[in-house]
Amino acid sequence: MGKKNKTSESYYQASQWTLMGRKLVKHKLAKFSIILLAILYCIALFGNFLAPSDLVAYNSKTKNCPPMRVRWMHEGRFIGPYVYGLKTERNMETFSIDYREDTEKVYKVHFFVHGTPYKFLGFIPGDLHLFGVDEGGGIFLFGTDSMGRDLFSRMILGSQVSLTIPFAGALISFVLGILIGSLSGYFGGVVDVIIQRIIEVISSFPSIPLWMALSAAIPSDIPVVRMYFYITVIISFISWTKLARIVRGKFVSLRNEDFVMAAKLAGVSDFQIILRHMVPGFLSYLIVDLTLAIPGMIIGETSMSFLGLGIRSPATSWGVLLQETQDVTSIALYPWRLIPLAAVIITVLAFNFLGDGLRDAADPYK
Amino acid sequence: MNMLKYIVKRIALMIPTVLIISFVVFFIIQLPPGDYVTSYVARMSAEGEFFTQEMIEQMRDEYGLDRPWYVQYFHWMKGIITKGDFGYSFTYLRPVWSVIMDRLGLTIAVSLITMLFTYLVSIPIGIYSASHQYSVGDYLFTFVGFLGMATPNFLLAIILMYLSYVWTGTPYIGLFTQEMMQNGLHLYNFGEFLKRLAIPVIVIGTAGTCGVIRTVRAQMLDEQSKQYTLTARSKGVSEKTITYKYCLRAAINPVVSGLSNSLSSIFTGSTISAIVMNLSIQGPVLYESLKNQDMYLAGTILLVQAVLVVIGTLISDIALAWLDPHIRFEQRKAA
Amino acid sequence: MEAEKVVEVVDLHVDIPMDEGTLTPVRGVSFAVRKGETLGLVGESGCGKSLTSKAILGINEKKCKASGKVLFTVDGRTEDLLTLKYGSREIRQIRGKMASMVFQEPMVAFHPMYTIGSQINECTRLHIENDKEKSKAITLEMMKKVGIANAEKRYDQYPHEFSGGMLQRALIAMALVCKPALLIADEPTTALDVTIQAQILELMKELQREYGMAILFITHDLGIVAHMCDRVAVMYLGEIVEEASVHEIYKNPLHPYTRGLIGSVHKVGTKKQDKLFSIEGTVPLALDLPKRCGFYERCQKRKTGVCDQGKDPSLVDVGGGHKVRCFLEGQDE
Repeated sequence: MGKKNKTSESYYQASQWTLMGRKLVKHKLAKFSIILLAILYCIALFGNFLAPSDLVAYNSKTKNCPPMRVRWMHEGRFIGPYVYGLKTERNMETFSIDYREDTEKVYKVHFFVHGTPYKFLGFIPGDLHLFGVDEGGGIFLFGTDSMGRDLFSRMILGSQVSLTIPFAGALISFVLGILIGSLSGYFGGVVDVIIQRIIEVISSFPSIPLWMALSAAIPSDIPVVRMYFYITVIISFISWTKLARIVRGKFVSLRNEDFVMAAKLAGVSDFQIILRHMVPGFLSYLIVDLTLAIPGMIIGETSMSFLGLGIRSPATSWGVLLQETQDVTSIALYPWRLIPLAAVIITVLAFNFLGDGLRDAADPYK
Repeated sequence: MNMLKYIVKRIALMIPTVLIISFVVFFIIQLPPGDYVTSYVARMSAEGEFFTQEMIEQMRDEYGLDRPWYVQYFHWMKGIITKGDFGYSFTYLRPVWSVIMDRLGLTIAVSLITMLFTYLVSIPIGIYSASHQYSVGDYLFTFVGFLGMATPNFLLAIILMYLSYVWTGTPYIGLFTQEMMQNGLHLYNFGEFLKRLAIPVIVIGTAGTCGVIRTVRAQMLDEQSKQYTLTARSKGVSEKTITYKYCLRAAINPVVSGLSNSLSSIFTGSTISAIVMNLSIQGPVLYESLKNQDMYLAGTILLVQAVLVVIGTLISDIALAWLDPHIRFEQRKAA
Repeated sequence: MEAEKVVEVVDLHVDIPMDEGTLTPVRGVSFAVRKGETLGLVGESGCGKSLTSKAILGINEKKCKASGKVLFTVDGRTEDLLTLKYGSREIRQIRGKMASMVFQEPMVAFHPMYTIGSQINECTRLHIENDKEKSKAITLEMMKKVGIANAEKRYDQYPHEFSGGMLQRALIAMALVCKPALLIADEPTTALDVTIQAQILELMKELQREYGMAILFITHDLGIVAHMCDRVAVMYLGEIVEEASVHEIYKNPLHPYTRGLIGSVHKVGTKKQDKLFSIEGTVPLALDLPKRCGFYERCQKRKTGVCDQGKDPSLVDVGGGHKVRCFLEGQDE
């Protein structure tokens, strides 16, 4: 009886966040998703290091090359990882270029090589890459695109954009949504009516047409960083309204509750009431909404970039990479171009599962 | 009667919203640096044509593009309200409304069919998932649902087109064949039209379908554990009646209020899918007009879509009030 | 001569399989309710009284497995309700028509989107008369009988337009419109004001006198028991621990739990300085229960070696229909 009492004690006394955390970890899919997302974001962070080539290197001699196999045994002997060189022949039926492995040329794979220089986190210079091959060869783990650029490198570097913009956008929506929603819900009256009208107007626009229109307004020759910023702002432009509506709804129902009245009578300022008394009550639901908003933004950014209205060169994102899949023939001929699609799907699924897990965990006493 | 007053009130509220929307639309449209003349000149110059400054000024004056944007907005609104004139399309060289009318019918048809498809498919699946929770079917539908929501729909379009090509030998690009474009839509080629409609509807409707399934499932699960089901059972009501007459009626609430969101997401989905699949609905036109800065055309398309969504919201609010007596009661209290 | 039994529950068990093991919230309950009689089923929350009552009508959740017998006798015919399949036509013919139920919270017992009238009428149309006009007349009649003023207008109103007491009357109307032989009332007045409580109880007694039905009255309030019931069965941890007429229970409670319950009712006349008496501890979870007297942990009179013998004490009749389940009272060791 003593043991049972102790666990039930800790259950009743645990803070809201401990309870949520415990229940979340039990949810297998959510746990898996957290790990997966952590790995993906680490890959993005160390992208420049992990990718053998950078964004600008292209070579018309290696156009549309299929994914290469890394081999270990050569003529019966183990010589460590290497790739073969490429021989090109023109296919007489389809008139496209076929690639065969040139077993004469062996390019060993080395680790921790010095390659093209980059700036880690944007300002720390370095040139160390995880792996690379001997001079003259190329290692194309995911094949190449129509300009001979390595898809593997471009995918890793593209993830830096495709993973951060949606996250930043969701964060901005989150802050804006809570701020505006709480103002609207708490004060009511004229403020509420005006903000409600604004929200109504903005949410009447279908998202992609609106994004298209806003993106058309971005001049084409601005610095990359500013471009990132504009796109993030555009994507969060509609989403904050959904969150603001929810927050407002909760405020409207909560502001007549007794505990708010008690706080007011005790002389607590309005701002304090909002921040310390009301928000913590539904913060967990908001976090769930935040997590579930990210997939929409990922798809949004991907769609915009696909149309050429989002990220433009020299930067790249998964959406830009998917421009190569524009028509049926290219998929038929070069199916490896669909690999970024797998990345998008996996990331979106991971965020969805995480959001679902958080939502289940947010009701810890159920 | 109360419903009538409610409807009139909502329509009256719609008007300022629509006005603000038109204002916002116009502001956004004229944001890009330069205007139609700029991009026209740029394109023509690339092809070797030569323009003097005078010619450029003249073109601007002709199109009315030399005046400040709020003046242009005023003239535009005046045209719309008094004459139903939505401006002139510089690329198509005819009034904007005639360009839109070409495709408006098809756009609305495709949207409505997609919405119908979405609800017809997802509501039964949601009910099934809720009553057979944790069964194989439930997990399967959930998984497919997630997958459908995670795939950007333009890629789904490409994959489906590719698959249809592999399976049937003809790529289903576009909604009409050459023959249909010439002879029009009749009974004999309606079947072909439907076949070609299948992929766009699936593509555009997928995201919405999955969302509705999840909502219906969650709501049904919620309702099924409520006290009134126990009461009904103790009366001797059959399980089927409990599911459909009682639980579904309450669960359908958020689905109905999501009607306008559904419409909005269909416009969103159809825009990109149409560009990729070369469908003759509004999406590609909007895209082109934004690239060319054909502002009145782009603005009107945006305006039409936003207004349709607002109308959709009105319809869903009315439907909600009819379905749920609570809301009517609240309105009566507030009035 | 004793009135005939309307319902007889024989050795009812309800098991709920869960991830952690199988819960056994009802462990061998037996009792009978006769025509015109009110049996009170008393106990704390968690003792299994609701599950027992719902098992009679078969409206527990699907995952609850009931075993034993529920013998229901009407018009000379007896049937074991537990043999009827979940949701089958046979059990649905009995529900609402021959045995019905009134619930604790009337505010959530009705569906919010249909009128009260139509929901009551659904019962009428299912079992008595399908014709719209005729059934409505019968329903209105019943609504008036339970004291709903302005019944015609109220018929077309929605649940949220009714007060708690009104709703409970409507619930009673719905349960009794088909004049069932058995009414199960699961804490029908707990959620209501005290004055309304009294009115509802009076209404029930009056209708019982008129229809001659058997009532199974579930409650944790001993005051109501004294007012309403002819016989009382006290439940603890899924078992009946004492059963007697209402006078016997108050005059001569035998089981320590019953004594505790009666002792904890605040009586008029106690001095201000006396502490409020309550039984120590709470009802344990019905999982992996050890083989001994269920009340062992909280019993003030427990004797080690006697009361944790390795088996449950059985229910023994100590004379005059007074039954007790206790090793220390009327058990042969």
